Amino acid sequence: MSTSVFAPSRLERRTQALLPWLLLAVLALLPTAGLSANIIRLFFITFVWVTSSLGWNLLGGFAGQVSFGFAVFYGLGAYTAALMIDRGVNPYLSFLAAGLIPALASVLIGLPTFRLRGPYFAIATIGVSEATRVIMNNLAITGGASGFRIMEHRPFRQVEHYYTALAVAAVAVAASVLITQSKFGMGLRAIKQDEDAAADLGVNPYSYKLAIHAVAAAFTGVAGGVFARYAAFIYPQGVFAFQTSVYILLMPVIGGIGTVWGAVLGGVVFGIVEEQLVASFPQIHLLLYGLLLILIILLEPGGLAGLLGKLFRRLRTPKRKNGNTYSGSREADEVLRRAGRG
Amino acid sequence: MTFVDFLNLLIAALLLAGTYAVMSVGMTVIYGVMKIVNLAHAGFMMMGAYFAYELYELLHIDPILAALLAFPFFFLVGIALHWLLVRWLPHSDRPTLQSLLLMFGIWLVLQNIGYLVWGNTDRSILTPRTLAIIHLGPITISTLRLVVFVAAVGCMAVLEIALSRTWFGRSVRALIQNRYAGRIVGVDDEKTARLTFGMGIAFAGVAGALLATLFSFDPDFGRPFLLRAFVIIVLGGLESVSGVALGAVILALVETFSILFVPAQYQPAISFGMLVVVLVVLPGGIASLWAKRRRLA
Repeated sequence: MSTSVFAPSRLERRTQALLPWLLLAVLALLPTAGLSANIIRLFFITFVWVTSSLGWNLLGGFAGQVSFGFAVFYGLGAYTAALMIDRGVNPYLSFLAAGLIPALASVLIGLPTFRLRGPYFAIATIGVSEATRVIMNNLAITGGASGFRIMEHRPFRQVEHYYTALAVAAVAVAASVLITQSKFGMGLRAIKQDEDAAADLGVNPYSYKLAIHAVAAAFTGVAGGVFARYAAFIYPQGVFAFQTSVYILLMPVIGGIGTVWGAVLGGVVFGIVEEQLVASFPQIHLLLYGLLLILIILLEPGGLAGLLGKLFRRLRTPKRKNGNTYSGSREADEVLRRAGRG
Repeated sequence: MTFVDFLNLLIAALLLAGTYAVMSVGMTVIYGVMKIVNLAHAGFMMMGAYFAYELYELLHIDPILAALLAFPFFFLVGIALHWLLVRWLPHSDRPTLQSLLLMFGIWLVLQNIGYLVWGNTDRSILTPRTLAIIHLGPITISTLRLVVFVAAVGCMAVLEIALSRTWFGRSVRALIQNRYAGRIVGVDDEKTARLTFGMGIAFAGVAGALLATLFSFDPDFGRPFLLRAFVIIVLGGLESVSGVALGAVILALVETFSILFVPAQYQPAISFGMLVVVLVVLPGGIASLWAKRRRLA
């Protein structure tokens, strides 16, 4: 519910529509600015996280189905790409497969688990994720506990990785925006608010959830594949780890669950904070995120994006003498937030 | 497999079931009264394990005694946590994702406090009792497991008495049956919820301390046990304490006897897979099987 309660003027709307394109142009030109390889890597990782975050947000944010199992798709994507690239298949073709196979897996997982609702679905996904990790860790094809090294017979060009990740993230943003504006997206929001009511209105919750699960899994899988090609070494306890599921869940929830830009913001913040903290204090990183999660759940369900939106609105609203600066918008916010909480 | 092997496995499974029951019952009472799926249970089990470890290392207190001491300690921790965070959650008759995510956040915080304080090396509690064995003819029983079992059964018995004989237990049962009706007849649901939450966390701490005597642990200790606890409470029908005992026995039997059919490295996948199967196939728990048959007859 990031939309402002105040109707934006036409000019504002136009600049708002332009902003993403401007951002994309800046990011596309960035590598030409002679940045260090380390900064480029930071951006690359951030794009990968943003893509996974957007993927999770499609199912968790739009349709309200919280999943603790996205490491399954991330890991499957990573291994699909890794195994294909290692056998000499074109990397971009491999990325396609890295989206397809997790999407198929998501249907297999969704068929039984979407019979469950809300927290029961969430718990079942923990089981699926953990079982997958145990199995993958023992299969010969994944390299088992010792991991899998990807031999790509091409020169390594960091900029190519950068643009791949940027393109994938941009497609994920575009797809998310298109879905929010479509009838399909409206159906998902209806399911999030009240599944039974949605079904009464002619939305089939089961097939809608299966469909968005597949799209979400595809994006997360491609993100995993792009990451695997860059890292050139993956292991099941890493990409299939419960930790990976947790990361993918935390980003959109902390950034702002259910909004496209919230999920992007969550991915960006996570990518940057992770890079800065994980090397020196890996525990503090997740400790901070745990505390942030608690605060966000209790105080600001809109996440960082919701917080920023509020700040922005407060700055823009002219202060009145009688001190009642909000005049009704707080009630409107409350109504919107309740509606969005599901 | 000889008959003696079978008996040995059976006894091992039943002894394990005792600890499993204590581990799950805390989640059941919290779910029953507050409809909160307590993911932080795993974090408190881990803390219980380190509680016993520190008491043993620093003060040389017997880990079984430490497990009993964990009850009042974690009870207070749970009440404090309820006062600080949990009571602000909106009340609901159904489990909400908000409460799930809040408890998940608490789990993350606990786990990473664990990593900060104790690091990620495996610890274990080794006492002279750890490797001792009792021989009953051809049957061998680990002394430690027997002692842990007795402690666990003791905990369950105390809980059962508390629930059936005290006013607190009566209010808990009333709220589990129907929160709304409970309030109408004058049950103080806020106070009962607070005590229940404390009790649930206390059982997590006790279970963690008991498990710590049997297995090695690190700050990620609670996760596999959390999933087992889910299997058990779903099998038991989510809200019933006697169901938990039944669920614990079933899971322990399945896990123990699956060693005969499934390679050891795939062993952990059994409880994880079982969680999904049970949730999907038997959402009403084992009892729903009987209920269904009765309806058909």
